[in-house]
Amino acid sequence: MEKNELIAKINETLADEFEVEVSDITPDANIKETLQLDSLSLVDMVALIESEFGVKIQGSEMVKVQTFQALYDFIAERTA
Amino acid sequence: MKEPLLEGEGLYKLIPQRNPIVMVDTFFCADETGAETGLHVQSGNLFCEGGLLREPGMIEHVAQSAAAFAGYAPYTRGEAPKLGFIGEVKKFKIVRLPKVGEFLHTSLRVLGEAAGVTLIAAETKVAEEVLATCQMKIFIKED
Repeated sequence: MEKNELIAKINETLADEFEVEVSDITPDANIKETLQLDSLSLVDMVALIESEFGVKIQGSEMVKVQTFQALYDFIAERTA
Repeated sequence: MKEPLLEGEGLYKLIPQRNPIVMVDTFFCADETGAETGLHVQSGNLFCEGGLLREPGMIEHVAQSAAAFAGYAPYTRGEAPKLGFIGEVKKFKIVRLPKVGEFLHTSLRVLGEAAGVTLIAAETKVAEEVLATCQMKIFIKED
């Protein structure tokens, strides 16, 4: 999958799961603020990334991924 | 059907609930990816009304199944079950309510873990018929 396609799929998947507009998701935006994640919903993100993209991400790694660009890069590296 | 590992009051080793609020009476198996539990729906069940196990009983059955799953690993190590909490129940779908006399077979599957919270998917069947599905977040209080 091309990176642009991957980014589009990530955005659509996150927007659907966390009930935000795709247009709210921009590369530099903060993930937690945009998706309104709290400590309970962090696990939703981890499960979603594994089920949709086959990428296992530890909770401790997830905490370090602050922006959508960082998330795109993280998933792209592991699905390359 | 699999042979149970624990039945009836044997489940008391895994869960803190006691009768009349016990909503899981069979424990089939567990590993790090999930577990299988069961419940015989009986007429005296606190959550039964009009011959059916009502919605709160379905949720409680899944919650106690998750508690039994969380309690199984400490049990195998000879430790007491740790205190667990339900953080959230979501995507709960009930196709139909179980009737008195039916046996619920529930499969739990771990979807992910982060920050001490485990996300579990549950599917409850009677024989091969799916009656309910949901996701539940649980976290275990570590010592």
